[in-house]
Parts: sequence; C-alpha cells; structure tokens
Amino acid sequence: MATEAHARHSIAEYRSDYEEGRRLRGLRCACGFVTATWGLVCPKCGGRALEEVELSGRGRLAAFTVQTVPSDEFLNDAPYAYVVVDLEEGGRITGWVEGIRDEKELTVGAPVRWTPTYKPGVHFTLEPAPGPTTRESPP
Amino acid sequence: MRETWVVGAASNRFGKMPESGREAATLVALEAIDSSGLEPKDIGYTFVANCFGIAERQAHVGPLINTGLGIPEVPSCTIESACSSSSAALHEAFVHVAGGFTDAVLVVGAEKLSHLDTLNATSYFAMGADYPFETRNGATFPGLYATLANAHQRRYGTSPEQLGAVAVKNHANAAANPHAHFQKPITMETYLRSPVIASPLRLYDCCPFSDGAAAVVVAARERLPNPPSEPLVIRASVRSGSIADMHDRSTMTGLPASRLAGEIAFKAAHVERSDIDLVEVHDCFTIAELMALEDLGFYEAGRAGRATVEGETARDGRLPVNPSGGLKAKGHPVSATGASQVVEIFEQFNGKAGGRQVKDPTLALAHNVGATGGSCSVHIFGRR
Repeated sequence: MATEAHARHSIAEYRSDYEEGRRLRGLRCACGFVTATWGLVCPKCGGRALEEVELSGRGRLAAFTVQTVPSDEFLNDAPYAYVVVDLEEGGRITGWVEGIRDEKELTVGAPVRWTPTYKPGVHFTLEPAPGPTTRESPP
Repeated sequence: MRETWVVGAASNRFGKMPESGREAATLVALEAIDSSGLEPKDIGYTFVANCFGIAERQAHVGPLINTGLGIPEVPSCTIESACSSSSAALHEAFVHVAGGFTDAVLVVGAEKLSHLDTLNATSYFAMGADYPFETRNGATFPGLYATLANAHQRRYGTSPEQLGAVAVKNHANAAANPHAHFQKPITMETYLRSPVIASPLRLYDCCPFSDGAAAVVVAARERLPNPPSEPLVIRASVRSGSIADMHDRSTMTGLPASRLAGEIAFKAAHVERSDIDLVEVHDCFTIAELMALEDLGFYEAGRAGRATVEGETARDGRLPVNPSGGLKAKGHPVSATGASQVVEIFEQFNGKAGGRQVKDPTLALAHNVGATGGSCSVHIFGRR
C-alpha cells in the first residue's frame, strides 16, 4: 500500500507557518486522534487515514511548568511557562507562555489562545476567564 | 535460549572525570573483564553506549575501546537510546548470548559532559526529547518531567514532602556508595529550601550532570560455569517503547513504556512483585522514582509517595529502592547509567555493597528510561 506522505505537510512547513503567524497545522486520524506532531501512520490505531487539519490554537491548559532555568533558545525569556494545551477540537499541543513568574498564575483548565510572536515556539496567551471553568481536563 | 549471566561488573566514581569518555570506558571495561575471570580475547562482541560522545568530537568509539583492550578484531557498535543507552546495549548483549551467536559480550557505557557549561549540557540532555515539537516550544529536560509532576500532583495530590523524601533517601544511600557523585546526606529542610528549577521541581529533585563509566560482562553459563564472583542470572531482559511525545500519550501521570516493559518482564521471569528484594529505578527526577514504582506495579498509582515518606523504600525498608543512591545522588552520566544499575546489583549479590548492603538479595530489578519514556528497559536478575 502506497503512503500518501506527499500529501502531508513537512515539519519545516509546520514551523514556518506558525512562526510567520499563518496557521497551526495538525493531523487528524479517522479514529479521532489529533496531533500537532508529525507522522505517516496513526500511533494510536495504526490507520493510514491521517488527514491534514488546521488547528484552532484555542484550548485549555492540561499541564504546565514554570521554568526558571531556560533552554538555550529562550535565554532572555526566563522565567516562562512550558504548557500542554487541550485543543478545543480535541488533541493536544505544547507551547509556552511568556512572562509567567510563578505557577500560581496558572491553573489547569484555564483558557489559552495561540498568539504568534517573533520568538521561537508556539506561543500562547492566557485568555481572560469569562466565568467559571466549564470543562476541566483530566491530567 | 541459553541461560545467560552477568559475570563481571565495574564502575568508576561518577562526578567529574579528568580523562576522556573513551579512556574511562576502556578502564572500567578491563576491570569488568578481570572481575569475570575472562581475558579480553574471550570477548566476542563489544556493545558501547556513548550517547554524547560527539560532545568530545568523537563517534565510532567501539574500535578505540577494543584497540585499547588489545582486541582490535572484535566487532563493536554503539547503541543509542538516550538515558537508557547502556541497558539497551545490555539487552543486545543478552540477545547475542542467549541466542547462541556469541559466548561472551562486553557492555560498556561512558559519558563526559563536564567540560561543557550548564547551558550547553542542558541542551545536550534535551536532545532526547522531540526537538521541533517539545524543545523548540521551550521545554528543558527538567521542564518535561516537571510537566509530568504537575499532572501527577493534580491527580494524586503528590506533595513536596513526598518528592523530597525520595531525594533525602537517595542522598543517604549514595553517602555509602564510593561510586557516587554526591556522598553527603541532605535534610528535608535543605530540599525544601532549594531553588525551583521547573515548578514543582527544585534543584534537589534533579539528578546532576555527571561524568562516569560503567561496564558489565555477559556470558553463557555453559561458557563460564564457575565464574569467580556470584553471577547475576538474567531472568528477563525487556525493551519497550511508547509514543515519543508525552503529551500525545493516553496518560501523563506515568510512563506507558515502563508499564509495558514491567508487565512483560515479570511474565518472562515468572516472578511476582513481592518476590523482588531490591530495585534500581530510573530517578532522573524525584517524580520519576514515584512514577516508576507505580508503573512497575510495586505500588498503586498515587501511592508511592506516601510509602517513601513512611520509609518502605529505604535501604532497610520493605522494598529497598535505589540503594546505590540512584541517578538522583549517585549521578547520571547518561550512557553509563543503565550499566551502573547492574554494577550495583552485582555488588549487592556479592555482599560487596558495604554500608548500603541489602540483606541477602536473591531477586532484583533494574529499570532504565530513555528520555521521557519513548524507550525503556527492564531487567530482572536472580541467583543461579
């Protein structure tokens, strides 16, 4: 069975698209698995029906850490939060939130939005909470 | 399959090595061969782990080690599986010997990063993660485990004191280990006062960057029926994997690869969790020790922290965990770590563990994780 790899985006395209603020690309499998990473065959079900999708960039914090010691590409940004986000359409993506000094500034379930910057990485911003959290994701 | 034994083992002192990784590897390799009663010429294959050899401008280190051992014709290759590189090499050795391809195999792991500054060393450590989808988004290696700790805390209420109890215990164990990087106990107060690196993980939740080297010799029982030391019978040698990016897995409160390898290993060895006398688990961060004990089935999910606080995993507890001091305090020279866990079990089985000796162990388990659990090794060892 031939792969359809040619129909899917490359990692370089994924990266240039989000770094230039155009879109967040992802893959969705017929089994429901959505990923913002890259692959040819679904790691959950083994299916090949991976469809390219545009991710909303909106979701809620699933897990996070505030790093006081940065990685080399974020030298001047510490402290900042590295976050795992549950996307509203399903699936998860990782990213970072600038200017977070203390983990008390974050809560699991808090709404976040993709906000492109000129800096590396998928950058998220905390949304002002519209009211009580309606959905909390299990870790 | 042929019955396969670990017949020799050696480690240097972890910390800062004056010599290169290649020299350290050759030194511990010869020591391990000598402890087995074999000669270098008896080795049929050399599996090397040297994940970050490129930091010393050196790849293809196997022929250099073999030449230094006077066995230049012996085949060699380097096995890379991030922090589980040398346990992956041990698995390859097991496959070769148990499968009847080779009678005696040398496994040696070495790492040297102390000539790099912290930022550079941190960057090397992060290379085990997914660069475009984790590291490029700002994750450091402590940050990835901190994210797992955040999920574990939220689900099970894991407290700073429970994480701290792992650090205090492992530092106490390392204080009696002449191979250990840190040989000084710490107090809970010292732990709680240490700075946050990646919340909730503090400095004393994290293993150090260490240089180090460790080697083991694996042989078929029929080739060496009466080795000079008490051999470790390899009852199970299992490797596993899981989705590489931890956020895409079904859980973030444990490592699926650990669960899988543990289940297969216990079945293969025909033993129960309660039969195990001591374990060396992959505690690159304190949370990793708690997750390992839960993933391997020694404790229910969320229960290992309290058990640690209550002393069950201390050297004289119900299940001694990381009597060597673990990665946390013995140190974590990435590619030497898996082999060094086996060195500890070899010394324990031979009654040579000094002040950290566990009383008469007959079954032991070693658990070694690659990065955040994309790969994992579990070995179970028994007596002949």
